[in-house]
Amino acid sequence: MHMLEISAISRVFNAEVVVENVSLQVAEGEIVSIVGPSGCGKTTLLRIAAGLLTPTSGTVLLHAGRIGFVFQDSALLPWQNVHENAALLASDADKEFVETLLERTGLSGHRHKWPHELSGGMKMRLSLVRTLAMRPSVVLADEPFGALDQMTRQHLQDELLFLHSLHAFTILLVTHAIDEAVYLSDRVVTMSAAPGRFIRSTQVAFERPRNPDLRYSAEFAALCGRVADSLRRTSP
Amino acid sequence: MRRLTAPFVSLVVFVAGWYALAYSLENNFATDDGSALIVPPPHRLFEGLNNRTIERILLATGISVATALAGLALAVMLGTALGILMASAKTVERAIWPWLIAVQVTPVIVLTPIIVRIFGPSFLARVFVTVLVAIFPMASNVLFGIRAIPQAWRDLFVLRKATPLQTVRELWFPAALPSFFAGLRVSSGLAVIGSIVGDFFFTRGDPGLGRLINYFFLDTRSGPMFVTAIIATLVGFTFFAGAGFLRKLFVDPWHKP
Repeated sequence: MHMLEISAISRVFNAEVVVENVSLQVAEGEIVSIVGPSGCGKTTLLRIAAGLLTPTSGTVLLHAGRIGFVFQDSALLPWQNVHENAALLASDADKEFVETLLERTGLSGHRHKWPHELSGGMKMRLSLVRTLAMRPSVVLADEPFGALDQMTRQHLQDELLFLHSLHAFTILLVTHAIDEAVYLSDRVVTMSAAPGRFIRSTQVAFERPRNPDLRYSAEFAALCGRVADSLRRTSP
Repeated sequence: MRRLTAPFVSLVVFVAGWYALAYSLENNFATDDGSALIVPPPHRLFEGLNNRTIERILLATGISVATALAGLALAVMLGTALGILMASAKTVERAIWPWLIAVQVTPVIVLTPIIVRIFGPSFLARVFVTVLVAIFPMASNVLFGIRAIPQAWRDLFVLRKATPLQTVRELWFPAALPSFFAGLRVSSGLAVIGSIVGDFFFTRGDPGLGRLINYFFLDTRSGPMFVTAIIATLVGFTFFAGAGFLRKLFVDPWHKP
């Protein structure tokens, strides 16, 4: 069953076509990544999917539940402590769920800290917790780990997969890191430079749960190479 | 300790300069009783102060402080409200902004006679003058503080399905707090200036610091004149420091620029 259906989306900003005729279906529980050169309209597409931006044409259909959004730079509210940030989007009935998520991500010991006292990795974890606390059926993530160092990045990728295995949500993720897209996803969609169009969808058949060592295997590298190749061919 | 060295040195230089000025001026001291006529040296500042004069200075300080406080409180409330209104609609901003600029660029000594003519020389008129002087930094800082809210935070409140009132209270207010206090620091100083400068035109009733200093000036009583000036400066300092203290209390714990 499809959870999210994006049909023929186009978006024009000041007479400039940013996203052109993009369609994508994401199945329930599936993880799909969109990779593309910077400025190809990935973020625009994601904001349209979240209902934060209206498309010039096309439709977005969410078949059940709610959409959660993970922002690029964690976007924590600096005047709220860790616990308040975590509970920002949660309903009152989900107070205990927030606690569970904080515990699961190792943040419960930092509940009274301000965001500026957290490391980059902890900030992103908290941002994930905040999104998951609203029990979304679909999580849209806009380059969530882009600002992190390689080690932290890999840790968080595994944590995201762990949370995904526990809470069964659908993920549509935008990234510019091909290895991240391949490691996390069931499917990687490549997008062309502006105006952004979908050019290719690559299935990723590695078994789940993903083994962290997968990143250093030959098959993994080969698949990354294929995605990179399809990206290269589109750039002018 | 180190941090205090530089201000201490500059204070010593200032006092030394003051002494140099006092003793280098010709005819600075009256020939009969030796009292200072132009610039009293620091240790002789308080010579001309009798009980009656001290009483007058205290009363004037009270009037000016009360005016500045009331004016500042109103300027903060009105300025914040105007900032929020302007931030919520471009049309409102276009309508209000030119007036704020007009009030900002018109000198207080030009505004005061007009206000006194309209309202009469009442306490209300004094406060009104102070509001006009102090409102601009509040309104503009609140406006720019709200404008600078990152898109992601705004999106967050859309996803939260927050009502407009909720968004103002829970996003605009706290997000604009650092610039609110930046505005308050400027406005608090301006409120003191407004209350003292505006005071010149209030020819009836007890004088505030502005008119009192003018009175001592015309009466060639240099000692009390200098004391009044120093008090005016200290009042300004206190207001400025108060704004800084509030900022430390409400913003500094979480705000790291």
